[in-house]
Amino acid sequence: MTHYLILRVIAKLMVGPIMLFALYVQFHGDFGPGGGFQAGVIFAAALILYGLVFDLTALRRFASLELLCSVMALGWLLYVGVGFATMLLGGRFLDYDFLAADPVAGQHIGILLIELGVGITVAATMLIIFEVYAGRKIATEGEDDA
Amino acid sequence: MMMTPELALILSLAIPAIGALGIAVTGARPNLREAVTLLTAGALFAVVLWLLQHHLEGGVATLTVLNLLPNLPIAFTVEPLGLVFALVASGLWIVTSVYSIGYMRGNDEANQTRFYVCFAIALASAVGIAFAGNMLTLFLFYEILTISTYPLVAHKETPEAKAGARIYLGILLTTSILFLLTALIWTWFEAGTLNFRLGGILAGQIEGPAVAILFALYMFGIGKAALLPFHGWLPAAMVAPTPVSALLHAVAVVKAGVFTVLKVAVYIFGVDFLAESGAADWLLWVAAFTLIATSVIAVTKDNLKARLAYSTVSQLAYVTLGVGLATSMGIVGGTMQIVAHALGKITLFMCAGAIYVATHKTEISQMRGLGRLMPFTFGAFLLGSFSIIGLPPTGGAWSKWYLVMGAADTSQLVMIGVLMGSSLLAIAYLIPVVARGFFLPLSDQEDRPQPPGYEISTIRWSEMREAPIWCVVPPCLTAVLSVLVYFAAPTIAAFISPIVGQ
Amino acid sequence: MIAALKAHLPILLVAVPLFAAPLCALFRHPLFAWTVSMLVTAAAFAGSLCLLAMVMAGGPLSYYLGGWAPPWGIEFRLDAVNAIILVIVAGVGAVTMAYARASVGQEISRAAQPLFYTAMLLCLAGLMGVAATGDAFNLFVFLEISSLSSYVIIAMGAERDKRALTSAYTYLMMGTIGATFYVIGIGLIYTVTGTLNMADMAARIGELEQTRTIPVAFAFILVGLALKLAMYPLHLWLPNAYTYAPTVVTAFLAATSTKVAGYASLRFIYTVFAADFAFEERTLLFLFLPLGLVAMFASSAVAIFQSDVKRLLAYSSIAQVGYMVLGVSYGNVTGLSATILHLFNHALMKGGLFLAVGCVIFRTGSHSIDAFRGLGRQMPWTMAAFVIGGLALIGLPATVGFVSKWYLVLGAFERGWWPVALLIVASSLLAVIYIWRVVEIAYLQPAPAGVAVKEAPLSLLLPCWVLILACVVFGVYADPTVTIAETAAQSLFFDPGAGLPPMDGP
Repeated sequence: MTHYLILRVIAKLMVGPIMLFALYVQFHGDFGPGGGFQAGVIFAAALILYGLVFDLTALRRFASLELLCSVMALGWLLYVGVGFATMLLGGRFLDYDFLAADPVAGQHIGILLIELGVGITVAATMLIIFEVYAGRKIATEGEDDA
Repeated sequence: MMMTPELALILSLAIPAIGALGIAVTGARPNLREAVTLLTAGALFAVVLWLLQHHLEGGVATLTVLNLLPNLPIAFTVEPLGLVFALVASGLWIVTSVYSIGYMRGNDEANQTRFYVCFAIALASAVGIAFAGNMLTLFLFYEILTISTYPLVAHKETPEAKAGARIYLGILLTTSILFLLTALIWTWFEAGTLNFRLGGILAGQIEGPAVAILFALYMFGIGKAALLPFHGWLPAAMVAPTPVSALLHAVAVVKAGVFTVLKVAVYIFGVDFLAESGAADWLLWVAAFTLIATSVIAVTKDNLKARLAYSTVSQLAYVTLGVGLATSMGIVGGTMQIVAHALGKITLFMCAGAIYVATHKTEISQMRGLGRLMPFTFGAFLLGSFSIIGLPPTGGAWSKWYLVMGAADTSQLVMIGVLMGSSLLAIAYLIPVVARGFFLPLSDQEDRPQPPGYEISTIRWSEMREAPIWCVVPPCLTAVLSVLVYFAAPTIAAFISPIVGQ
Repeated sequence: MIAALKAHLPILLVAVPLFAAPLCALFRHPLFAWTVSMLVTAAAFAGSLCLLAMVMAGGPLSYYLGGWAPPWGIEFRLDAVNAIILVIVAGVGAVTMAYARASVGQEISRAAQPLFYTAMLLCLAGLMGVAATGDAFNLFVFLEISSLSSYVIIAMGAERDKRALTSAYTYLMMGTIGATFYVIGIGLIYTVTGTLNMADMAARIGELEQTRTIPVAFAFILVGLALKLAMYPLHLWLPNAYTYAPTVVTAFLAATSTKVAGYASLRFIYTVFAADFAFEERTLLFLFLPLGLVAMFASSAVAIFQSDVKRLLAYSSIAQVGYMVLGVSYGNVTGLSATILHLFNHALMKGGLFLAVGCVIFRTGSHSIDAFRGLGRQMPWTMAAFVIGGLALIGLPATVGFVSKWYLVLGAFERGWWPVALLIVASSLLAVIYIWRVVEIAYLQPAPAGVAVKEAPLSLLLPCWVLILACVVFGVYADPTVTIAETAAQSLFFDPGAGLPPMDGP
């Protein structure tokens, strides 16, 4: 891809706004259409675009499979952790009312955290799927070597 | 510790089970292993004797272990019929153990530990059958007996042994699962209980042709009673070593079968209910046919063990016929037949085994003149034959007597003829073995010129080639016992008469 | 503390594995992952037993998530039926997890092991969720959680045999079709009732039974679940999936996943749609009776000709599912309790059998029937376990199989279907043939020369024997299991659970 200058420049320009849009969708989910699933996919799309244009190794430099795996687990933990937190705070599983003194504030915090967890996990999972598929050739070559 | 009836019942099951464990543990040291076997057999017999004595004193021994299904416990009860069977099984186990030691060592058989372990488990299940307090418990041990004897039949691991064992397991499992289990659940469905009760549990619960169908399910379901057409497993199992045949034919397996037949007739249906409903009428004819047909087959067999196997099928039909008569005499005759046949047939098999150990001959046509080389073996064989045929002074005479009486009671003249005819056939298939042994020249003697004055039918001590003593003493002992049973018969009849309401 | 735990027990059974799973993925260390999984499954087992005791003593329980009371929020509703299913799933999960340490250690590369445990826990959580939830859509979510993770763990068999990949793919396709059908059915019901809560659905469906929508939804849901249940003839994904999956996975899924799908079908047939709708108006019995019978005979017959023991057992599983379907088709309480009983009993015996085969795989590296030659002597404990498990499959007395069979036949008699009774016992004879093929080879054929096979290590034998002994214990003392199954059947039949107050929050 080194010769496709336009692509490279446009992609570089796009990655940031796409991420920003992802964050918008993520946090606007509280008030309007949006939420963790959509945001996660959009966020991942930004990085996948980067990976497509600048090569998989470039993507892996900062988003290695190991890291993504951990990030995915963290997002997931955040979700379930909120559930446990509400229980520890005296409510039922995922009863956000108990996350703050004021139930309405609790609901806000709860849904934000939950959606954040979803978003992180979805983004990480999308990237993992992309990296694993895109890296298949590398993987088999590695096997042949071994 | 004081012996209580409950403890004795537990012991009667636990001793052979623990014995099996002990045998498995001591497998590496044959002498110790055999000692364990004999010790276990002796202890079991002693416990059964204690139970007998307890029963004679009027004691009642029952034991309920736990509920297998709701309201359907595993339970044990001592009653006369079961005691007779338990006595036969545990008593003959001692004899068979002694004999097995001689036979297995004499033939240098492989897998001896497995053999003794399975034998002990089989005995445990036989005792379980004998003392079962309800049909479910009986069925449980019936199946354990089937499974535990499978390795014994397949003992030699040859293709023939495998094929024989397959038929053995196939027929026994098929009949028991297909018919017996169905009959059991049907009974439970109709009567709401499976407990053995004198006079039966089905009277008034079921009527019409259903009684006969249910009865047929039971009779054919008890494959171990080898009613035609489900007799094939017995000849198939002849591939096994002789002590196994003794176990199958005399000690446990077929006896468990006919014992179950008696139990079902007496305690599930009740003799009176059977007689009233006429559900057992067809059984008479099937039994009669089995009796005659397999006797005829036996005459045609040249292999001694095969001949004995068919003879067993025929002799078992005596018991079934007794049940088919649905009269007290029939039941008494059937029970006597269990005892008499056990002693007679075990003698014959052990003799066949002794001949095999000493000469490696299996076909009757090869056994010419052997009687003079093995006079004790052949003498015992003769006495055993008498008992099977039903000649005095052996136990067999009594069982046939009671059966004929029963047939006369119910005016089944044809059956009298059948019983007589079958005895004649028994003469035809058993006596030639002995006669050839004593009165014909040895196969290798014919061509040899004999010195003048040489009598071929004289027994010369110098020429005797008996099997090892462990193989000879047991059949002689059982032969003597079958004579003793002749004198003990009235006692046995009196002992079991309470269950037939005399 | 204890009171709080008890109050949250229904959700904890699902949430704790769900929480532990990402931990395994986060700290990618095999031993850590196994320890966590082991602790979690053991705790889940203890919890499920506790829950069962609570339900048996005090009747059904209800718990809802978040602050939304049912029928709006997600409800977990537990009666004897799902309590026993939870016990099966968690119990088998704990046993197979104990077994996994050695078995997975050998079959799956170190790097992949933590992820394996992650997926395994996720699958467990999904199955527990399906069993516990009282919300039809939530059931779909959990069904997908368990299915997706089971595709993954089945595919992990690819390290040993590449065919695991295609098997997992087939299962993925079939499973997705099943799940889609299910969700279509739920959607249809939602359009007419406006509710997703099962108990609420049940109450509303009564008035709407005559509409076209409800029967169509019923059909979609039933077919969808039948696919997951591997009900004949929708079973085609199962033999390959079981054959090529890692040992632990096969044992776990064989003992739990079809059971849970079976439970879900029961829940819909009885609780949501009510028995008389399913049986009298929609004549379900004419569908279930022949299919159950065909499954029993056809699959057993196919099992006889298999040369791979895992595949043989897989076909046997399809036949066993046939028994469960048959029990349902009676449309009486005895038949239904036989089905529930068999769900439990079959989990024990199939789990035990697959673990025994796993011991053989561990030592010989093969699950072909030839690998069993002479093992009777070389691996006496393993083969003894196999024999006992096999006897249970045949249904000999003193094993759990006998108890199931007893009630199945009894139910047939109650219905007056005595030919069916005969067919049931006859089909178990086919099991004799396929089990005995293996037994004969193991015990009566000499081992191939020059190959010394040692007995499996204790860490494999113990879990295997736990299940096998359970087969015997619950076969000799079936009183408790039968009581539970009968209570469960009664509650399915007569008490749709309407008007149950939700469990008090803390």
